[in-house]
Amino acid sequence: MDFFATTALGLIAAIPVTLLLFVASAIGSSLIAGGLVAAQQSRITRPIAQAWIFVFRGTPLLLQIFMVYYGLAALGPIRHGWLWPAFREPLFCAWLAMTCCCSAYIAEVLRGALTAIPKGQIEAALACGMGRWTRLRRVIMPQMLRLALPSYGNELVMMIKSTSLASSITVLDVTGVASQVIAHSYRTLEVFCLAAAVYLCMTAALTALLRRIERSLAPAGSRRA
Amino acid sequence: MIDTDLSLAALIGFGPDGWGWALMSGAVLTLAVALAAMAIGSVLGGVLAAMQASRRPWLVWIAATYGLVLRGVPELLVVLLLYFGTPELMAAVASLFGLPAPGSPPAFLTGSIAIGLVSAAYQAEVFRGGMLAVPHGQIEAAMAAGMGPATRLRRVILPQVLHHVLPPLGNIWQFNLKDSALVSITGLAELMRVSLVAAGSTRRPFVFFAAAMVLYLIMTSASSALFRLLERRGARWSKR
Amino acid sequence: MIRVLAIAAVLALAGCHASEPVEDRELIIGTEGLYPPWNFTRADGQLAGYEPDYLRVLCGRIHRRCRMVAMDWDGMVGALQTGKIDLIADAVQVTAERANVLWFTRPYAVTTGVIATPRDGPMAHMSDTGALMDFDHKGPALDAALARLRAGLAGKVIGVQMSGTFDNFLNQSIGATGPSGVSIRYYRTMGERDLDLLNGRIDATIEDESYLRPLVQTRDGAALVLTGPRMVGGSMGRGEALAFRPGDRALHDAFDGAIATTLADGTTRRLGLKWFRMDPTPQKSTAQSR
Repeated sequence: MDFFATTALGLIAAIPVTLLLFVASAIGSSLIAGGLVAAQQSRITRPIAQAWIFVFRGTPLLLQIFMVYYGLAALGPIRHGWLWPAFREPLFCAWLAMTCCCSAYIAEVLRGALTAIPKGQIEAALACGMGRWTRLRRVIMPQMLRLALPSYGNELVMMIKSTSLASSITVLDVTGVASQVIAHSYRTLEVFCLAAAVYLCMTAALTALLRRIERSLAPAGSRRA
Repeated sequence: MIDTDLSLAALIGFGPDGWGWALMSGAVLTLAVALAAMAIGSVLGGVLAAMQASRRPWLVWIAATYGLVLRGVPELLVVLLLYFGTPELMAAVASLFGLPAPGSPPAFLTGSIAIGLVSAAYQAEVFRGGMLAVPHGQIEAAMAAGMGPATRLRRVILPQVLHHVLPPLGNIWQFNLKDSALVSITGLAELMRVSLVAAGSTRRPFVFFAAAMVLYLIMTSASSALFRLLERRGARWSKR
Repeated sequence: MIRVLAIAAVLALAGCHASEPVEDRELIIGTEGLYPPWNFTRADGQLAGYEPDYLRVLCGRIHRRCRMVAMDWDGMVGALQTGKIDLIADAVQVTAERANVLWFTRPYAVTTGVIATPRDGPMAHMSDTGALMDFDHKGPALDAALARLRAGLAGKVIGVQMSGTFDNFLNQSIGATGPSGVSIRYYRTMGERDLDLLNGRIDATIEDESYLRPLVQTRDGAALVLTGPRMVGGSMGRGEALAFRPGDRALHDAFDGAIATTLADGTTRRLGLKWFRMDPTPQKSTAQSR
């Protein structure tokens, strides 16, 4: 029982690390995803955005994390550059890798939502004489965000689970603490069940929150089956 | 302890000191793990989908809980649990029978089963959607037209289900391919592990992780091309 | 009469078969192939290092054919117990804990744990550098040395291999608690730890000198220096030995005898200089009667 309690406390104490990484990655990747979608609208910048999405969706996140943490640190400009104090920290490297990776997936989600907006509405906006920015602000963005919400929520849930990969570069998040306790006590089953329970609580809470937001954003009077 | 003065080409090449063959066989193992996980996930996913469509509430509950848990827990934890926990479990079971601890099962097995278990949770959702894809009226019409169950399956059910199910399955395959990198934790010499060992022992991480990224990109883009081809062929009958 | 002769002939042949070379059976040696320079896997998949060389010598001396296979450490003890392998040669350090499960030969090498740190770092000039620190010789001298060691490590970031010998040592003997404690970073493989040592993310590492001495002599490792005491005994064990199944007397004694000859005739020293740049022959000063 004592072991159980100590381990549980240790895991709970690591939750802030997981949440910090999650929130920071969510913000960073969403911003970059917005930029990627914008870049896809112009013929010049589209190849760059496509290349970014291709690379970050086509390779495993674990490999990207190792590349950022070990690979970049082997390059002179990084190791001896002014950004080294940041790259020196495992948490920063995990955040950077996750931000780049998830931005590619979110960009695809946003692009899908963009193409799902009924064309008629955009034509009507044009017919009304709305300028580009007004069209964006009044017609496109609200619908895009609403249509994207279910898939975006899925990406957020995947993101919370992906934070566990940070443990592979010495970050002491929930998985990191769990691995460490197991390595020293050999009581695998109990520790991992505790860690799994912690993640389940987090994903369940996130899913519940997202559902509430979805419901409140549904257009008035419409009922989803 | 290798003093690596070798050029880039020699390091990843196929010479005596080059890691080219090791990287290639790592890629093959990656494909093998992904395939095994896909197979396990398909079979288990089909069973779970069937359970959720059954009329016995406890079966539905088990399948639903399985899906919830396996989709709410990080894949890395599942891999770690199976890798570290299976020997413990086997030792406990063996001691019940008075046998000595049997050691750990092969890493390939625990790794692909772990990824397969997670994949099954997602594939079950895909199959559930697929089962709803065929309007019941069509099945009734087929029966009225005198088609036997095999013909019904081949002519009416399967084409529509596959068309519905192929795109998301392609997605799941891509995830299996990338999740196979997590199996590197077990020490299995798949691509991620080989590049990590090479990076550590030659102290040239950038080279080897870049090489691994290229190999993964080849595998994922070939896979998406293959699935696009399959989807196009499968869509020939539909007027979309 | 003929029947009796026939039966006698059959029995004689059967008897021959029974005493047929069990000695001809190939011995399977378990190792990891991931612990240079003791054993490592070359890019072409072949096992190389001190132990492949050394075991070749030993097997020659007892006139048996041997084959080395690579497997992960966690499965090795089980494989030995179930007979999949006949012995373990993986730089296994002799500790009291392990002696419960494994039957060790005499040590074929004794190496110490040392600290490696960047040459221009804050830990480059620790006290007691080069001095032997024996954790089995308890007393006021050891306590004083331990206090100096703790002071030297206080507040530093030390990287070790997860659940390895020195991970246990750091946690048990030095302690990671409190603000003046040691900050420990855990790595799954030695290679990852080496990378972070070289790029300065960790201040130092504690590892076996057989691994660190060749490392500091490579071009990348020239930026590192070995510092602090040479530690042996206690949770770090005392020397590396071959491990057999408890009760496997014939094999155990055969190899034990062969090891004695290599210690006496300088084979150990020769191979040690080749792979470790040092002589790992157990000296009287680090030896202790079992």
